Amino acid sequence: MSLLQIRDLTKKVGNKIIVDQVTLNIEKGEILGLLGPNGAGKTSTIRMIVGLMSKTRGQVLIDGTDAHTHFEQTMKHVGVIVENPDLYKYLSGYDNLLHFSRMTPGVTEARIREVISLVGLEHSISDKVATYSLGMRQRLGLAVALVHKPSLLILDEPTNGLDPAGIRELRGHLKHLAQKESVGIMISSHLMSEMEMMCDRVAIMQKGKLISTHKISDMEEDERLQVRFEVDRPDLAVQILQTLMSGDEITTDQRHIQIRIAKSDIPEISQKLMASGINVYGVHTLKKTLEDIFIEITGGEDH
Amino acid sequence: MISFIRNENMKIYKRKRTWVMIAIVLLYVVLQIVNLKTAGSDAVNDNWRVQLEQKNVQLRQEASKSDALNIEIKQAEKHIVLNQYYLDKDIPPSTNAWTFAVSLVRNIIFAVSLISIIIAGEIVAAEFVSGTIKLLLTRSASRTKIYISKYVAAILFGLMLSVAGILTSIFLGGFIFGFDGLADSYFYVKNQAVEEVPMLQALLVGYVLNIPFLLIVITLAFMISAAFRSTTFSIVISLLVSLTGFIIAIAMDGWSWTKYFVFSHTDLTPYIYGNPSVDGVTLGFSLVFIGIHLAVMYLVSYPIFVKRDVV
Repeated sequence: MSLLQIRDLTKKVGNKIIVDQVTLNIEKGEILGLLGPNGAGKTSTIRMIVGLMSKTRGQVLIDGTDAHTHFEQTMKHVGVIVENPDLYKYLSGYDNLLHFSRMTPGVTEARIREVISLVGLEHSISDKVATYSLGMRQRLGLAVALVHKPSLLILDEPTNGLDPAGIRELRGHLKHLAQKESVGIMISSHLMSEMEMMCDRVAIMQKGKLISTHKISDMEEDERLQVRFEVDRPDLAVQILQTLMSGDEITTDQRHIQIRIAKSDIPEISQKLMASGINVYGVHTLKKTLEDIFIEITGGEDH
Repeated sequence: MISFIRNENMKIYKRKRTWVMIAIVLLYVVLQIVNLKTAGSDAVNDNWRVQLEQKNVQLRQEASKSDALNIEIKQAEKHIVLNQYYLDKDIPPSTNAWTFAVSLVRNIIFAVSLISIIIAGEIVAAEFVSGTIKLLLTRSASRTKIYISKYVAAILFGLMLSVAGILTSIFLGGFIFGFDGLADSYFYVKNQAVEEVPMLQALLVGYVLNIPFLLIVITLAFMISAAFRSTTFSIVISLLVSLTGFIIAIAMDGWSWTKYFVFSHTDLTPYIYGNPSVDGVTLGFSLVFIGIHLAVMYLVSYPIFVKRDVV
């Protein structure tokens, strides 16, 4: 049984369908990225899962239990960070943690100390949150989300406003949780390269619909790659390549030609080019990035 | 549930602002003492009989003025009866910690209510303003629990602050006027006759019977806070309503339409230590009337809070 099962989740406001029949599963230990242009319905989907927003139709099951009818029971196992971690600024970091850990029965003093050291806030935990930097608030937010040992972690745009070091640190924490403690993680973000490094799988949403999901590992095994040859006479090279592989798209600029071929074809093509008197200065295989896929699927609009 | 109320209390009492508000209430008590002391009416001297007689003459004059309000006439009549009783029984009127506290109970609860509006008006709305509502509502707690714990915390604040105000008035009053007099009786006029109860009973009953005002006012602020998510709106409207309500209830005391005016029912002391302002109004009627007002306010705010989409 999947850790999180989302079935036919739909949100209508007036006549507008904001989230349209989203069905998605998350497994234990999996990091799933939710991608989509602004207004695609990512945030609404997440808010329906965690009960901040009512749903028009559909079901959310956490560990097989309906999260709507058994809200208190299911939320015991869920940690949430929605956008920037807004905490009580006039309380100390420790009081904030105490506040939220009191809301779930069974969180011990020792566990609170444990998460404080996990996120590295030992030295500033008794300071008021008002004095914290954004990165420190993010870490405290993570501590709040983790203090009750959730098996599912849901993060909405957690990287907003974080500096590269902060993002890297967050990535480290999340990877650790997924791999070592088999926490399932759902994370929405618009930082493609980050999601590519962090996630096992991405789900792409557009106009309220879930349009596709991709395993990050699959993307790397794609047989045909974009290959770029750096040559001195691109015009001639194009002519030669057209005879070899008619119909395929060949792009070119002053010093490069770019074609889509299998990796095993690279030696043959470069030999042909050189045999025709074209100097090849370099061959680059361009890995297809998540961003390419994203643009391809969403048509690049609103991005 | 207890831990939820503890959370709300932590959020109230760990703010400096709350302590400033508490200090204001205590300062109010001090000002009342200064007021009484400088007016000089606490001095009991040998010619107190003469003073009381003069006072009664003065009261009769005031009550017979053509522009005298209902309540002024009634208060004057009561004082005359009471003063006459002191004269007849040869009891010199005295001011001590206990009489001071009893006389101040209603005003303390009024002042505490206004201060509590700020707490109750913020307690829900501020979570929306700061964004912390998202974390609060995504923990393992139903919205009903959160709603109730916040309401209870606001009411507790009001109750405890009024107790603190009354204790302060006893202690400070004791230092200035002396602690003697606890064994004395509290005299009041009911059905044109003077009756008496032990002082401490008068103090406790006075406190309890003024709580409806606190309840109505805090519930109003809380309702607006929970339903409309606006701190300013909640505080301003509640302050206006409770101030005008309080004043109208005093100014229009005795008019028959006040039977259907909630602020004419928020001080229940007349049922015990006096007579109700409007004939035929009973304690039961007042309690039901207050209950209906509270129920309507819950019915407006609770469903909105529980069903709202947090965006």
